[in-house]
Amino acid sequence: MSGRRDREARREERLLQERQAGAGERRQRMVKLASAGVFLALVVIGVLVVVSSGNSSGGDSDNIVEAKEVDKLLAGIPQKGMVLGTAGAKVAVLEFGDLQCPVCKGYSEEVLPQVIEDRVRSGAATLDFRNFTIIGPQSKPAGAAAIAAGEQGRGWNFVELFYRNQGTEDSGYADDEFLTAIATAAGVPDLARWNRERRSQAVIGRVEATSAEAEDLGFTGTPSFAVEGLGTGGVEPIGTPESVGALESAIEDAGK
Amino acid sequence: MRAPAEGVLRGIATFLATFGIGIATYIAIADSGGGSPVCIAGGHGCQTVAESSYSHLAGVNIAVFGIAGYVVLLVCALLRGDAFRMTAFVVSLIGFGYSLYLTYLELCTIDAICQWCVASAVVMTLLFVTNAVRMVAYVGTEL
Repeated sequence: MSGRRDREARREERLLQERQAGAGERRQRMVKLASAGVFLALVVIGVLVVVSSGNSSGGDSDNIVEAKEVDKLLAGIPQKGMVLGTAGAKVAVLEFGDLQCPVCKGYSEEVLPQVIEDRVRSGAATLDFRNFTIIGPQSKPAGAAAIAAGEQGRGWNFVELFYRNQGTEDSGYADDEFLTAIATAAGVPDLARWNRERRSQAVIGRVEATSAEAEDLGFTGTPSFAVEGLGTGGVEPIGTPESVGALESAIEDAGK
Repeated sequence: MRAPAEGVLRGIATFLATFGIGIATYIAIADSGGGSPVCIAGGHGCQTVAESSYSHLAGVNIAVFGIAGYVVLLVCALLRGDAFRMTAFVVSLIGFGYSLYLTYLELCTIDAICQWCVASAVVMTLLFVTNAVRMVAYVGTEL
């Protein structure tokens, strides 16, 4: 009896050792897998960070892009100061924007091109860009640079090109070098004059005046729009129309 | 120190992942409507962050990736086994690491704090801790 009990005890002990050894091996395998998992996770995080950083592209004075697209968009449309379109159009659309504002960039790329094509090119409306500087300290000099470009008939080229090359919001990219690169690509003919004028108190004063005007109209963000035409009693704020259709509808109403 | 029972850890992870899905879904819905999340405590931080170039990855709102991550973590919390323990750990590590990066961007680059993004980062951090404990304590053990 005692021999049988001993055999059974030894068998139980052997089975326990085998189970423990199996669990140990399995655990070791899983530790290796976990290490691979950590490595994989770090690689994925690295890729995500690199892709995210790529989002901040723009604001690069050595690589101004889409000058041709902007030229094509505005070709043949008269410009006077910051007003795009034929003088005497039935409706004036006032855009209050900040060149550093990413929402303005989106609006400029997604909504305005169609409106320019449908309403401005046809002579039905004019678009008047007015600075409403709310983003940061570089917004004012950037706005002054746009006005100075407008003095040489390239204001809208400057604005559109700035938006298409806009850098990360208020990150310091909109320095003299960037503004000069935009002015050059926008085709400002006399850069020396542009440099003088953009720094002049008169031009900076215009930036401040339109920002104050935007506040008087009750605007708190950019871009904000107003229309003026036969159907409005003066300048009528319309906020930020969400689509091409909404802005065009506001233009039509203002012209009636 | 003895780790909590795996059932408890899975329960915590289930709750956190569900909560995370709620937060990320709200941010994604606010963005899809052309707006931005409303900061409950006031301020414009949520709008500023939502309008920054970092809010989208390859044209897709980051919250959408967040929803996908939280759903995977929820599934892993509901199911047993080493494969789910490992997947939960790796996915939550990715979420935790990327949340750290996004929080750094908010503080140092965007200069604005979105309370919803911070809430999501906190949830993801807790999920990472929970799943790390689950993996260390229970991988290689019986189900």
